[in-house]
Amino acid sequence: MSAAQPSSTSKYKFADLLADAAVRERWERVRKYFFLRESTYDMTSRCNIRCDGCYYYAGEKQFATDNDDPDAWRNLMREEKARGITFVVLAGAEPALVPGLLQACYAEIPLGCIATNGMKRIDDTVGYKIHVSAWGNDATSLRVRRQKDMLEKQIDNYRGDSRAVFVYTFTRDNIDEAEPVTKQLSDNGCKVTFNMFSAPEGYDGSLRHTEATLAKTRAVMLELLERYPGQVLFSPYSAVAHTHRLGLHELYSCPYPRKNPSTDIGLGRSFRQYRSDLTWDRAASCCVPDTDCADCRHYAAGSAVVTSKLYRHATDPDTFKAWLDYVDTYLSVWVTGYAKGENLCRGIVEPPQG
Amino acid sequence: MSAGINEKELQRRVAEIIIAELKLQDITAETFDPDLDLVDEIGIDSMDLATIVLVLQDEYGIKIDEDDYTKLRAIRLIAAYIQERLQAKA
Repeated sequence: MSAAQPSSTSKYKFADLLADAAVRERWERVRKYFFLRESTYDMTSRCNIRCDGCYYYAGEKQFATDNDDPDAWRNLMREEKARGITFVVLAGAEPALVPGLLQACYAEIPLGCIATNGMKRIDDTVGYKIHVSAWGNDATSLRVRRQKDMLEKQIDNYRGDSRAVFVYTFTRDNIDEAEPVTKQLSDNGCKVTFNMFSAPEGYDGSLRHTEATLAKTRAVMLELLERYPGQVLFSPYSAVAHTHRLGLHELYSCPYPRKNPSTDIGLGRSFRQYRSDLTWDRAASCCVPDTDCADCRHYAAGSAVVTSKLYRHATDPDTFKAWLDYVDTYLSVWVTGYAKGENLCRGIVEPPQG
Repeated sequence: MSAGINEKELQRRVAEIIIAELKLQDITAETFDPDLDLVDEIGIDSMDLATIVLVLQDEYGIKIDEDDYTKLRAIRLIAAYIQERLQAKA
């Protein structure tokens, strides 16, 4: 893999990039969602499974005292709405265990997403997108997540559910399982996107990627994108951004408060990561707290990190198309009702240098 | 004013671009207070600002550094920044 390419002297005007009708159409489509302002919320410290390398059970947040009062969550959502938050990500440890709190959040801020292990179905009345985490085939899930027939149960819970997107997390060990798992999901009409295992701070287990597994993962992602275009929500540039030898922070400069001291504008100003006791800490705030930033290639992080770098990608037609594909992918994965378009850039575009 | 652009005209054109790009209603280039804080009082975010910057670069043939975004919080400041860049280019 080559290093990021310089992009400081573009010979293209922005208007040139938008001259192509398909590009203009996609730009107008994605920019309608620039109003999204996210924050994330740990809903409970309880989980019904224990996975190796789980970022939730790293660091201090797991010791927060849960606030189980739906009124308190409703009030928090009202306050969040008042300060401009329009999109909530409900996560850790297992949100499906607190259905009343999900209802309370949904009643106040109806755009958002729930990150779940998929073992307990979330009621249809909660209209958020639902990200169901898949870490390999059932043998691997039994070993890493200590659950029998996990994929089967997840599919049973979310087959035909338009809210659900299965998120296949590539670890160092499960790359070869991605194809059969994607096929199984595809055969059951389930949508799939890809994530990269990003090591929690202090993690010394066997799931952390190497340069070789990053390269292999990229090849498999691209192959699956070709093979299952109707079911896989991804783009070639998504594969590049998330399997680069450099992590997202080094490639794009992460705008989350944990890495960004500025409170002037953007995520550094508005983003908060709440613990299950409804407190938050600016120094720990990002979408995957306690991840080792140098190893962060997390899909949730990238959705904000790469998207926020519009300026860097508006340099030439291919780079801009690649960025549009990335944003189109992120919106289709995260936002209810947004349908993925065909990727505009099918080649490999290297991330532009800041 | 050097580089041949009147300060008021420049502010008015910046206001027009912001109104058009953000599809603002109930405000015109003439009524847009040049000192209004675009972040705190209009509610624009980083993606909106990045879009405006790209259009301004096209319009004036200048390069606006990513690190300078936070300086561009009001029309008067944006116009002054553009003027400075145009002078440096001249």
